[in-house]
Amino acid sequence: MCGILGIYSGSGAVPDRDRFTLALDSLRVRGPDDSGLWSNDEVRLGHRRLAIVELSPAGHQPMASTDGRYVIVFNGEIYNHRELRLRLPADINWRGSSDTETLLECFRAWGPACLDQLSGMFAFAIWDCTEKRLFVARDRFGVKPLYYSWLDGQLLFASRPTALNILRGASADVDPEALRLYMDLGYIPAPLSLDRNIRKLPPGHYLIADERGLQRQRYWDYRHITPDARMLERREEDLVDELDALVRSAVKLRLMSDVPLGAFLSGGTDSALVVAAMKAAGIEHPKTFTIGFHERAFDEAPAAARIAQHIGVDHTHESLAISDLIALLPQYLDAFDEPLSDNSAFATLAVSRLARRHVTVALTGDAGDELFGGYPQYRLMGQLAGMNALPQRARYLLQATLRRLPWHRGKLLAGALDTRDPTSLFAYLRSLTKDFAPVLSPDILESTAGAHSWFAQTAASFAMDLNGGETASRLDLCYTLADDYLQKVDVASMAYSIEARCPLTDHRLVEWAMRLPWTYKLRHGQSKYLLKKVLCRYLPAALVYRPKMGFSLPVAQWLRGPLRRWAHELLQDRATMDRLPLERQQVLALFELHVSGKRNTAPLIWTVLMLLCFVARQHSTLTLPTVDQKRAA
Amino acid sequence: MRAPGKLLFLFSEVFATGGLQRFNRTLLAASEQLHAQCDVYSLNDADTPSTAPNIRVTGFNQSKPKFARAALRAASCGDYAAVIIGHVNFLELAAAALRCRLYGRPISLLITHGIDVWSGVSGMRRLAMRRVDRILCVSHYTRAMIERQAPELPPDRFIVFPNALHASWTAPQPQAQAQAQAQAQAQAQVEHPGPQRRRRLILPQRFLLSVARLSRFDRAKGVISVIEALPMIEDATTHYVIAGDGDDRPFLEQVAARLEVSNRVHFLGSVTDQELYSLYLGCQAFVLPSGQEGFGIVFLEAMYFGAPVIAAAEKGAVDVVQHERTGLLVPFGDIVKLKATIDRALADGALRDRLRTQARAGVTGAGPFTFGSFVDRWSKVLPPYLTGDAGMAPCNK
Repeated sequence: MCGILGIYSGSGAVPDRDRFTLALDSLRVRGPDDSGLWSNDEVRLGHRRLAIVELSPAGHQPMASTDGRYVIVFNGEIYNHRELRLRLPADINWRGSSDTETLLECFRAWGPACLDQLSGMFAFAIWDCTEKRLFVARDRFGVKPLYYSWLDGQLLFASRPTALNILRGASADVDPEALRLYMDLGYIPAPLSLDRNIRKLPPGHYLIADERGLQRQRYWDYRHITPDARMLERREEDLVDELDALVRSAVKLRLMSDVPLGAFLSGGTDSALVVAAMKAAGIEHPKTFTIGFHERAFDEAPAAARIAQHIGVDHTHESLAISDLIALLPQYLDAFDEPLSDNSAFATLAVSRLARRHVTVALTGDAGDELFGGYPQYRLMGQLAGMNALPQRARYLLQATLRRLPWHRGKLLAGALDTRDPTSLFAYLRSLTKDFAPVLSPDILESTAGAHSWFAQTAASFAMDLNGGETASRLDLCYTLADDYLQKVDVASMAYSIEARCPLTDHRLVEWAMRLPWTYKLRHGQSKYLLKKVLCRYLPAALVYRPKMGFSLPVAQWLRGPLRRWAHELLQDRATMDRLPLERQQVLALFELHVSGKRNTAPLIWTVLMLLCFVARQHSTLTLPTVDQKRAA
Repeated sequence: MRAPGKLLFLFSEVFATGGLQRFNRTLLAASEQLHAQCDVYSLNDADTPSTAPNIRVTGFNQSKPKFARAALRAASCGDYAAVIIGHVNFLELAAAALRCRLYGRPISLLITHGIDVWSGVSGMRRLAMRRVDRILCVSHYTRAMIERQAPELPPDRFIVFPNALHASWTAPQPQAQAQAQAQAQAQAQVEHPGPQRRRRLILPQRFLLSVARLSRFDRAKGVISVIEALPMIEDATTHYVIAGDGDDRPFLEQVAARLEVSNRVHFLGSVTDQELYSLYLGCQAFVLPSGQEGFGIVFLEAMYFGAPVIAAAEKGAVDVVQHERTGLLVPFGDIVKLKATIDRALADGALRDRLRTQARAGVTGAGPFTFGSFVDRWSKVLPPYLTGDAGMAPCNK
């Protein structure tokens, strides 16, 4: 994992080197081992390296091709690079064993078509000195970040928006559409970023910048892949074999490393399977890391320990109190230079910190829930679809009854019954704003489209006959996984200079999972049906079939307890609040509603707080919380 | 010679735009060609006098009770040789009515189009399907979907009965003449008879065309896919023109704005027939990568005017568009392949000419999608004493 930075200026006016160096330095934590810079009249490229493969200077970047025509800066790993070397012309004079060099030669041989051959996670830029063209690409799932800004014939790109802002020398100009999406979802989906002048390159896309301007192209799209009914005719055991082989292959590819390697292990299916596959790949005692909590309701550490013992791994565990996690808030705010309200990032930060003491690379189980039907919402969507199929009068009666109940979830359920198609229902279930009065100003709401519009656009490419769960899982792949979970993992692991790898995002595995009929994902209320069958080959059923715990933190309790005063002060900070188009009174009312215990508004309040922190930090007015130890205990 | 028997048609609608309505009109025109006497009950039409002497259309102004009563009475007591059930929603009603007849039961034909039967064939509907003599399916996909839901139906119950261009399309226009006409119309102000509407249809020099209803229930038409592909296509001077209107237009405009191609996407709204012809003639390619076509009459229209067709390899469209022969097919929803196919079509003039020629052969002369072929097919379906030819025999119950 590294940090990359670059400028292309068609007019030949590349901004000053000092500012570039400052921007590159802001990426130090992503690449503490080495840095490099290359420039000419049109282009300046910078790189900060976290050395994983080819630790010698032969892996230094920016790297030029042997003929000097191409120069690359690359963040990521190409797992099949050794196989690709065998397919390239035999007369290449290889200087080292780095995947960077392989990638460069692949581009030299095949051009943009090389992207179809790559198996890996990547964000890279290649300058063609002859054509005077800059090529910038991002991997299929967006495991690696890439932000860019295009203005007046000048393209700036960087691994993080902070570096880009230093390079631009401009202050943020809040994009109202991005703001609305953030308030709705807790993250900002590509291609938007909070600053209207900065974009994220969407996953599976590349850019070409030259004298003709900027082109953006998609090179991979999985939305059209539909469940294959022929798989229903096959023996279940054959499908288990196939999935097992795919997971093992994906994991094995990701064991490529010249530095120590391990895995994050929760008590869940996905990370357990990844660790089991590591063992099966020949790693005698994989190193695994777990974060536990003193609050039993949130603590998966005992389950992780049992899994670790059964598989036979070198397991390290750390148990945290609330105060420990709150103490990570400065780190969280430093690392996340774009608002993200997903509080499980704290746990990811903590486990990255733990792992870094022992390894430089860690495999994770991300994407399993999205690919194999893991989230409870998918089951709920099926149930709600059944209710929506009731005759209209029966549905209205049910809604009216639910709204009269004192139980708030009843009201939410009634709201869900107002939606008539899977995409609308998904948008409702994923929305943080739900039935709350709007916290954004009416102007913003009138001039922007909400998350549902974005989901509907994406879902237009899905097959027509997908059920609710299938629709939801695809939308989660496109949005929640790409722009929340994978970003969280990248940024949190980067904060401790650790490279996180996600085997379950292997594109061959993803394409296979998209074809898998839903009955193998959710069957008789059992989620991840087939994936759990695979795991049963490595673990006893008692460890496989456990209720899903999730990875969120007791923010609701924190806001009523140790963080209450800090949150109150931050919400009362008019200077910060007034920089944003928020309905201040509405926000305060939501907070009061929460602390009074009448309703849990924590997800939305936390989202507002993280946004306020982000803005306050930008203006150097942020005050961090001190923890009341008695209240924290 | 026996006097020809009468036909009873139970239609949802005749006099409106839409693939189903056009099929109904073509079927009536074919019946007229065969000198059949036709009574048409149309649920959604107003009661409009028919212009054809042997076709009587009774409209019920969307009154389901009135339509149901009239249809029940006609099917159970009327002196008809055949009852053509024009929509599966009328199947149970018609089947029940026919069951009540003690003697002189007419032949019953069910017409199935697409989404109306791709699901929901169960229970009473499935039972009723067993009672009809023939099930006419506009595409092989529609037939396969019914067979999947009702596997007990014998194969000989089904007839794949594709749509065709209406009689008015049979006169082949020399392309050059038609092109000149279209260009003149495109550049001049077009005046229309009937409801007075004047507008100038100003078209981009190079454009892709879609013709579709823009309903939020029709997002699988593929218009969004074309908008998504547009910023990626090699020829940045090519625009995208959409003829058709509906409640989803604001959403589609939003998508275009989001992708920063608002200046290249043109929503024309509803267009007249003349405007439509000039659009087909002027476009570089007709692109409708729809995932929900029961058939796709618009493809035939595009082919008639020589517009190279790009469609999705999905459902009924594959009966109409043969890949690399009469058009180009892409997987539904695959933007990468769609973009590559559009690039190819725009760049390869020889390909466009070949597709044009081969496609036109299907919709002109003795081609399978001409009105003449449709009449021929219909004559083979109807009972012999209606056509004088050897038509089909009723199935054994």
